[in-house]
Amino acid sequence: MPEREEKGFSRIKELESINLATDEIRDQVIQTKKEVEKDNKKLAEQLNRKFKSHKIKSYDIVGAIGAGKTAILERITEKLGLNYRILVICGDITTRVDANRIEKHNAETIQINTGRECALNAYHIHQIIKNKDLNDYDIVFIENVGNLICPSEFILGTDKRMVIVSITEGEWVIEKHPMLFKMSDIAVINKIDLLERLGTNLDKMINDAKKINPNIDVITTSAKKGQNIDKLMELMGL
Amino acid sequence: MESMKKKIMEIEEIINNPEHIKTVDLKTLFNSFLSEIKNRIASYIGDYPTFIEPVFLEENVKIGDDVLLGPNVFIGTNSEIGNYVEISNSIIFENVKIGENFKIENCIISKNSVFNFSNLILKNSILSGINNREDDIRKIEL
Repeated sequence: MPEREEKGFSRIKELESINLATDEIRDQVIQTKKEVEKDNKKLAEQLNRKFKSHKIKSYDIVGAIGAGKTAILERITEKLGLNYRILVICGDITTRVDANRIEKHNAETIQINTGRECALNAYHIHQIIKNKDLNDYDIVFIENVGNLICPSEFILGTDKRMVIVSITEGEWVIEKHPMLFKMSDIAVINKIDLLERLGTNLDKMINDAKKINPNIDVITTSAKKGQNIDKLMELMGL
Repeated sequence: MESMKKKIMEIEEIINNPEHIKTVDLKTLFNSFLSEIKNRIASYIGDYPTFIEPVFLEENVKIGDDVLLGPNVFIGTNSEIGNYVEISNSIIFENVKIGENFKIENCIISKNSVFNFSNLILKNSILSGINNREDDIRKIEL
């Protein structure tokens, strides 16, 4: 494979792809992967201590593109209104679309464009938080990059992680992405206003989430119609 | 924009006369300038660097592979940023060249500065000139 040899795999873009490493650098790649994971965990724990010591409630919101993460955050920030000082960190490959939507609801927003990276990591959040006076905030929401796979690799130091899926993604979406449900505290099944039209098996979705993680709270919502947003906020402790 | 331009010109004037730098004044101006670029994120299509806003890129900035810029970064016209570089809380003026794998934090780099080598961590400094190796660097503390 001349092309493969030419590139020499001197750079492994995705650390999890250790099978791409040549035999000569395999040990080195695995060692680096372990160190990176350890560093991320350390930074996340440090962030969590900071949030807690400032009595800040913090949430990592994950889910696929178009599941309704931003729409739900818009509903929540709208309801929280002026009573809370809110910081929303939005992760996207590119653009400031989400941050622009959310900041209309009295929240301060910071956009991170990850370029090629498919999830936020604790270092991104650390870089933002170290420049902020945490006395200025009551709640921090982190809207992760739209993706149901990569965010499971990196914890961000928030109190709670909430995974959002929508019924338009099909009733197998939860079963096919167990990792994020295992690692989340709340599962939101959004767009239930479309249930009748789509005929998605909602019970299967709920049962799948519970089967994967018996401790997860599952709630169905319609961000569009504002349905169950109050109940979701209760589950979030807001 | 006007106030931003004014501040960046003031900063440039101060760092061009290094013997007169009053670090405290410069620091205030530096922080005040960085707060002006709030809520901006550059749209840069190329090797898809990571940006944590605010990041302000002037015209024709070139960015290498696996670069992380931000928060609070201004980069002037025609500057070139090498691969694996990370920059936060810093002002890079125009026509600057940064080599591969530099980590730059809380720095001001004056125009036409060149760093023709790789692998260096720079913090809390004002830097300038043509630097072909680490020993060439003359830093003023910021």
